[in-house]
This record gives sequence, C-alpha cells and structure tokens, in this order.
Amino acid sequence: MAAASAAQSRKTETYTDTKRRDDVRGVNIAAARAVADAVRTSLGPRGMDKMISSGDQAQEVIITNDGATILSRMSLLQPAARMLAELSRSQDAAAGDGTTTVVVLAGSLLRRAQTLLSAGAHPTAAADSLHRLATRAVEILHSMAIPIELSDRDSLVKSASTALNSKVVSQYSSLLSPLAVDAALSVVDPAHPEILDLRDIRVMKKLGGTVDDTELIHGLIFDKKASHSAGGPTRIENAKIAVIQFQVSPPKTDIEQSVIVSDYAQMDRILREERNYILGMVKKIKASGCNVLLIQKSILRDAVTDLSLHYLAKAKILVVKDVERDEIEFITKTLNCLPIANIEHFRQDKLGHAGLVEEVSVGDTKIVKITGIKDMGRTATMLVRGSNQLVIDEAERSLHDALCVIRCLVNKRFLIAGGGAPEIEMSMQLAAWAKELQGMESYCIKEFAEALQVIPYTLAENAGLNPITIVTELRNRHAKGEKNAGINVRKGQITNILEENVVQPLLVSTSAITLACECVRMILKIDDIVTVR
Amino acid sequence: MVDRLLKDDAVQEKGERARMASFIGAMAIADLVKTTLGPKGMDKILQSTGRGRNVTVTNDGATILKSLHIDNPAAKVLVDISKVQDDEVGDGTTSVVVLAGELLREAEKLVNMKIHPMTIIAGFRMAAECAHNALLLKAMDNKEDSDKFRSDLMNIAMTTLSSKILSQDKEYFADLAVDAVLRLKGSTNMESIQILKKPGGSLKDSFLDEGFILDKKIGLGQPKRIENAKILVANTAMDTDKVKIYGARVRVDSMAKVAEIEAAEKQKMREKVQKIIGHGINCFINRQLIYNFPEELFADAGILAIEHADFEGIERLGLVTGGDIASTFDNPESVKLGHCKVIEEIMIGEDRLIHFSGVQMGQACTIVLRGASEHVLDEAERSLHDALCVLSQTVNDTRVLHGGGWPEMVMAKEVDELARKTPGKKSHAIEAFSRALQAIPTIIADNAGLDSADLISQLRAEHHKEQSTAGIDVISGGVGDMKELGISESFKVKQAVLLSATEAAEMILRVDEIVTCAPRRREDMM
Repeated sequence: MAAASAAQSRKTETYTDTKRRDDVRGVNIAAARAVADAVRTSLGPRGMDKMISSGDQAQEVIITNDGATILSRMSLLQPAARMLAELSRSQDAAAGDGTTTVVVLAGSLLRRAQTLLSAGAHPTAAADSLHRLATRAVEILHSMAIPIELSDRDSLVKSASTALNSKVVSQYSSLLSPLAVDAALSVVDPAHPEILDLRDIRVMKKLGGTVDDTELIHGLIFDKKASHSAGGPTRIENAKIAVIQFQVSPPKTDIEQSVIVSDYAQMDRILREERNYILGMVKKIKASGCNVLLIQKSILRDAVTDLSLHYLAKAKILVVKDVERDEIEFITKTLNCLPIANIEHFRQDKLGHAGLVEEVSVGDTKIVKITGIKDMGRTATMLVRGSNQLVIDEAERSLHDALCVIRCLVNKRFLIAGGGAPEIEMSMQLAAWAKELQGMESYCIKEFAEALQVIPYTLAENAGLNPITIVTELRNRHAKGEKNAGINVRKGQITNILEENVVQPLLVSTSAITLACECVRMILKIDDIVTVR
Repeated sequence: MVDRLLKDDAVQEKGERARMASFIGAMAIADLVKTTLGPKGMDKILQSTGRGRNVTVTNDGATILKSLHIDNPAAKVLVDISKVQDDEVGDGTTSVVVLAGELLREAEKLVNMKIHPMTIIAGFRMAAECAHNALLLKAMDNKEDSDKFRSDLMNIAMTTLSSKILSQDKEYFADLAVDAVLRLKGSTNMESIQILKKPGGSLKDSFLDEGFILDKKIGLGQPKRIENAKILVANTAMDTDKVKIYGARVRVDSMAKVAEIEAAEKQKMREKVQKIIGHGINCFINRQLIYNFPEELFADAGILAIEHADFEGIERLGLVTGGDIASTFDNPESVKLGHCKVIEEIMIGEDRLIHFSGVQMGQACTIVLRGASEHVLDEAERSLHDALCVLSQTVNDTRVLHGGGWPEMVMAKEVDELARKTPGKKSHAIEAFSRALQAIPTIIADNAGLDSADLISQLRAEHHKEQSTAGIDVISGGVGDMKELGISESFKVKQAVLLSATEAAEMILRVDEIVTCAPRRREDMM
C-alpha cells in the first residue's frame, strides 16, 4: 500500500490539482455567475457605471458602463470567468452592443442550470435542450421583428439613441445619434449595401469644450499642427495635396557612408551641395503644382529638416509631418489620391484636390482640417470633444456602440422593441412550447425560459422600480397579446415600448441569445480543470 | 554485498513495486480522459501555467494528453500511443488510452492472483489476434458503390463529430468534411485543405470554399481584382541589397556623391522590380516586407503585390497555384509561375481577405470556420481535423464498422469463445481481455448517465444472436440497431486502437524495474 501511495504522490503534477466532477462544475458556475453579477447593475438606461482603476504603475482610471470594457479590464483568473469575458468580447465583435445583456443572460441561465443539475439532470441533456431553446428563441425574435429601410433615417436615429441612452452621454443622445447615423450612411458603398466597414469611420478625440461640440467632418483632420517653424502657410485654398512616403532631407544611403572633408573650403562646398539637393527636391514638388504636403513618418532618417521646411515654406507649401504609415491607406482613400514613394514619381495625377486646408485651434491645441475634398472617398471623420479625458473616452465608446447598432441594421434590416419586451415574449412562448415537449427536455426548457426574465427584472431593479410588480405586470400584458409592451424606465411603468421609440436591431438580440446559450453549453460540458504547461 | 550501484539521487524500484507504480500511473491517465469518451462525454478545461494563463476547452484526448505534465514512465507510454494514433489515423485517441488502461486494470488483478506477467502477455496476444480476425470478418466494404460509400463516409464523419462541440450541426459539418475529402481524390495530403478561423457569426455560418484564402491585404493603389492571374511567389528581401560584411562602408568627399549612391541604391531596387515584372506576372506575393518604393512601382505597373505573407501560407500557396517559391529573378524562363482564374478581395465578417479561385491544384479548398469565440473555433478546428483525418484514411481503406460499442462487443464475444477453448492459465488472460473490451461500451453508457450494468448485459444477450447489429443508442438511452441509426466507424481506426493498446499494455506489463536517473546538477539552482 505504501508503494501505491508513493506512486500516487508523484504520478503527475496535475493529479493532485484535479478537482472532481461536480465540484468543478459548481466552481465554474459560481465563478461565472459572480462575473455576471458584477456587471448586472450596469444594465439599462438607469444602469450604474463602474470605475476601474488599473493595478499597474500608471494607475489609470476608467469610468464606463460598457460591459465589454469592464470585463476586458478585470484581471480574471478563473477559466470559466474568463469565458464569460470572452463571451462579452464576442458579442462586441458580432453586434457591438448588448455586451452587458449577454453576460447577464448567461449568468441567469447558469443559475437555472445549477438547479437542474442538482435535480439530477445530465449536463449534456441540459446543454442539448439549451441548443434547441436558442434556435427556437431566434425564431420567436424573427416573428416579432419589424423590417426597416436604410432610407428611413428616423428609425435609425431612434435605435442609435436607444443604445446611447444607457451611457454617461445619454443627455447628448439627441445630438450624437444623428451624427452616428450620418457618418455610417455616408460610408455605405452603394455597390455593396449590406456591408458597413467601421474602419472607414475615424473617431478623433480632443480635450476641451463639451460633448455638445462634437461634430462630423466631411473631410479629414489631423491631430497635429502644420509645421510652421519656418513661417509656412497655415491656410490654403484650392489645395493640391500630395501624400509622400519619401523624405525631404539630405541623402542617406543604406550602406554606411562617411564624407571625408580635408579642408574648410570643402566644408562650404558640401553645405552648398546639401542646400542645392534639397532645393532641387522642393522645386520638383512645386513644379507639379502641389501646395499641401503630407509626409509619412520615417524611422531611418529625418523626414524633414529645418532647411527643407524653410524652403517648403518659401514655396508656400503647407506641410503636415509625421503621418503614421497605417493611416496612409485611410488618407489616400479619403483624398482619392495615390501615395508617392519617390521624388521621380511626383506627378500631378497622383495629387488629391481639396477646397480648403487650414489649421484651426481646438481648445488649446491646433489641428489641420481638410474640407471640400473633390471626389471624396467613402470615409467619415468624427471629432469628439469633452471636458475631461474620462468623458471623452466614454463618449467614444458610446459612439462606437451607436455605430455598431447601425452596422447591425445595415447587415440585417430588422428592428425589434427594447425595454425587455422581447425577452418576456420569448420567455412566455418558450414556456408554452415546453409544455408540448416530454421528459427532461421539457423540464430543462421550462427552467431556461424563466431564466430569460432576468433582463426585464434587472432593468426594473436598476431603475429603482419594484421588479416583481413590473415583471408580473409585463407578463400579464404579454399574455393579453400586447407583444410590444415593455418597461418604460422614464415613466416607471409598462407601456407600448414601440411608441416610446425604444428600439434596437434584431441582430443584437439574436446574437445575445445564441452566444449566451453557446457559452453556457460549453461551461456545462466541462467536468475537469487540468493544469498544463 | 555491493554497496552502491547508482548515483546518489537515482532511484531504483523493483519487482512488485515497479509494476504497481506503472499500473497506477497508466490507469490514472486512462481515468483522466475516460469521461470524454462517447457522444455524451464531457469537456476539460486546460489551464496553462505559463504566461498569459491561456485557457483551452477541449474534448480531444490527444490534445489533453499532450499538454499534461507527466512524471510517470508508464503514463508517458500511454501519452505516446495517443500521439501516434493522432498522427496515424487522427481519431480514437481517447479510446486507445482507455482500452490500454482497462487492459492494465485487468492485468493487475491477474498479477495479484499470482499469474506470471509473461503468461498474461501470451494470453493477451492470442486474444488480440482473435479479436483482430473477428473485426476483419465483420468489416463491410462499399468501395464499388459510390453512393453507398458516400453515405458511409457521412456516417463516419457524423459519428466522429457527435462527440465534439460540432455535434449540434454535425450533419452540416459532416457534409462539409466529406466534400473536402472527396476533392482530395484519395490523397491523404491534409496540406491542401486549409482551415481558416474567423471569430464572429455562428458555427452554422462556416462554409467550404473552393480555392485558397490568404489573410493579407493588397498593397495601396493596386488592382483589387485580377482575372487569369499569373502569380510569382517569392521569398526575397525587397529593400536595397546590402553587403553582409560588418563594417563595410563607402567613403565619399561630397554630398553629390552621397546622393548618387542613394540614387544607385534606388536604381538597384528598381531593376529588381523590373526583373520581377519581366516575368510577365500580374500578381506578386512576397514572404518578406515590400517597402513603399517597390510597392509604388508595382502599383504603377498594375501588379497586385502582397507583402509579409506567413511562411505556411506561402508554401501552401505555392502548392495550390503550382508555382515555385523564387528568390532570384535572373532567369525568368526557369521560374515556374503559379496560375489561378481570379484573385479578389472578399470580406468575411469584419476582415478583408484575399481569395484565389480556380487554382491549378483542383483538390485545394478552404474551410472557413465561424464561431462565437476563440475557444469555440479552436475546438471546432480540432474536431474537424479529426473528422478529416478519419475520412481521408477511410477513402484509402474503405472498410467500415458499426459504432456505438458494436465492434467491442463482437470482439468480446469471439475472445470469450477462444477463452473457453484454451486450456491453461492463459485462458484467464484471454477472459480478462474480453472484459477490458467490454469496458468501452460500459464507459460510453456511464458517461451518458445510463445504467451501464443493465445495458451491457442486454447488449451481450443481443450479440449472442448471429449477425446482430446492436449497440448502445445514447440518445434514446437503450440498445439500438447501429445499422439503422447510421452509426459507423472506420475500420482502420478500430484496428489501430486494438493493436496499439494491446502493444502498450504488453510493454508496461513487462516492466519489472524502474530506474530513475539522477537529475543533472545545475550550479545556478538554489
């Protein structure tokens, strides 16, 4: 026996760490629920914000109400808890909104699953019925959905403002949502109306002013000032813009080189040659008619020198330097021009044209603004303002959510009521469906159907209403056939939520329910945590 | 009396103790993966202790076993057979470990009954041969009938997938996998099936695409769509050529000379690009970076240039388009160019990818997997990989068997009969072999939460009849007809499971001494 125990102790490092089946499942479910509870209070228009302080040196502080942001900043260790954080990230990728909803939903489903497991249901039976439930729930959502057209700007604005209402910037939703809609619609390519690439929309943050000053710019802005160390122009009308990827500076070879100077006269000559060299480049640039120069940042050598700036200023050319390489594509797309990588290729047909390029002061810093672009590409730029960094960051995240909502609508052109109406409707219909089924499946689906009610329950709770009264009344109204009855948080009662303009894209709801179910199924099927290399 | 044979820290375990240690190690490993067996098997979380504490959720025996820290030599043998099974046939990685574990469990009992290990091994050998013959007899072959063969493949794929995460959409994925494998036309070269994972969407959005997809961007200002493409695949540096001797430098005495050298460097680059263009291509793919300057030259020539493709992508691209990977461009006629009908930019989910269709190697195809999260995708890829491996093996060896514990019961029955005919102590070992075989359906039933004792006895009674096709129907929780349910397994997989498990068990049984060598001293430790 001694031999056996000796072998036991040094069998595998993992064996001692391996927890047993039910324990593992219990631990996983508990951890995942703890995560869900942590974000629960931020659900809905009256949801609260979280302050996250990063543990590292910087002690950075974020205030947010965005589920995906909260979870990604939490340093989670428990594997199941990390799965929930990933779930929220997936929802962010798929729909961009509803990141809190999906986690709260998964938490509630897990709670019911635990009840089922303790009642003796086999985990795979629960997992399989969850899959059927998800398919059915999506059907129900589809039956409730209202089709919309992209030309229907009002509906788009309405759904964008529903997404914004739960955020810090909710008081500006009337301003931000039309902006988001306009930005999104301006980048939709008529050739591919079903695709909206959010990378074509650039959001630029600038401290100062209030969120009210946020604007959509038909053109391009640079978060840097024009270089006027040598007194170059800061405003140019009828601009001809060149995006260059070469450097206006003394030559430098890739192979190491040294210039040998033997006396002072040679020194003079070299300086003169350097000047001539740069002057030659500037003349070529000027000859093409270019009067605005955007210079890509270079790590190998100086992109511009004081000398070349001086000559460029003399030639009345506005210079913006240190443009990042990955921005080049966006810029060339917007300006409808081509980047130029060599002075020899500096031709007029590669230039972009714009009505006005000017340097403007925003707050205490300056930015360069390009407007009136001829044949502008399908891009949009938004300038977000705010009184402090936290507000700006949160405004940017909210704007991102609003843009995502519109993207969902572009992908799948259906709207659905908000305010907990779809969840209650699903819950009721699924419960009715469960009665037609038999055996363990029926039992499981009945439990899970009830789990969906967590959304209206939490909405009511966060709004300071009596959740039980609200949810029961909601059920009552839905039983009478009022499919769109939902919680009106402002009035604190149940109303037809469509009339209140609280709408959200169908894609957000469907992806929330399918993703939550998939994640819960995965957690249910795990019976062991093994530590590995 | 010899006082010391071994170094200070070396440990020697002998006879009974050694055997015990290896039995226990092997059985613990088998027990660890046991619960993942069968359609209602559970998953495991693998939590990495390394940086990032990555989390993997999996049901694949080989993946679990190969990531374990293992100290026990016998356990290592089991991990190895699982790895070999994975390389050879791709599936049955859990079964092989579980069977070996069960064989050892039975062997332990026999050893305790004072039967010599060599007798047990002899018995096991006879039993394994008998079981193998039984399988050979019962295997079905539908090679001639292509429709039937396809449905066999479908069944095998579905059976393999049903124990994995893809079980809910198994028909869809089985179809996908069968299509992909049939395109290969008998080759087992998995290289030409590319699996691309893209988060977003649901598993049902996954699809099979003809041709090849490269996860890269097209350079600025270059055409986004090319028909009848001539492709040059290269691995070359596109910056200026440098002398590779340290300290090489040029000495000049004026700025104009520096400018000249710079111009010469540029010229050299331009020449290189001209040479590349001289191949008469309209698409250039480089493994290394293409800098701004050559990129513009390519754009001017209307050539689509793709930079920084990953090595695997390049090799596969060379393979599917039928082109060589070039690194010098002096002899345009000796370089084999790749061809394809259309190159275009497509969007999958959020990302822009480059799609090559109508490639020369007709077998090539890409399976694009979509799913909620990385975990789901990784696991889906592993499952699909298993299915593809099994299918491609089946295409070569077309024999199939029923699944659901049927082959084990058939073998057990034959082995039992052999035991009755064999005189001597060996018959105990043969009987034990039969019990070990029956353990597999027992575990499948246990994992599904069914009453295994009852089910197995029913199954055995059923198999007493000639030509029975009964197996465990996990879905309804009873004994079912495997033929009607369409649950099939590849003959090759089962054969490999049987033979390598027996071999492994035999090897571990033979051990009577474990010598642990003294660890190498490290000065810096402690």
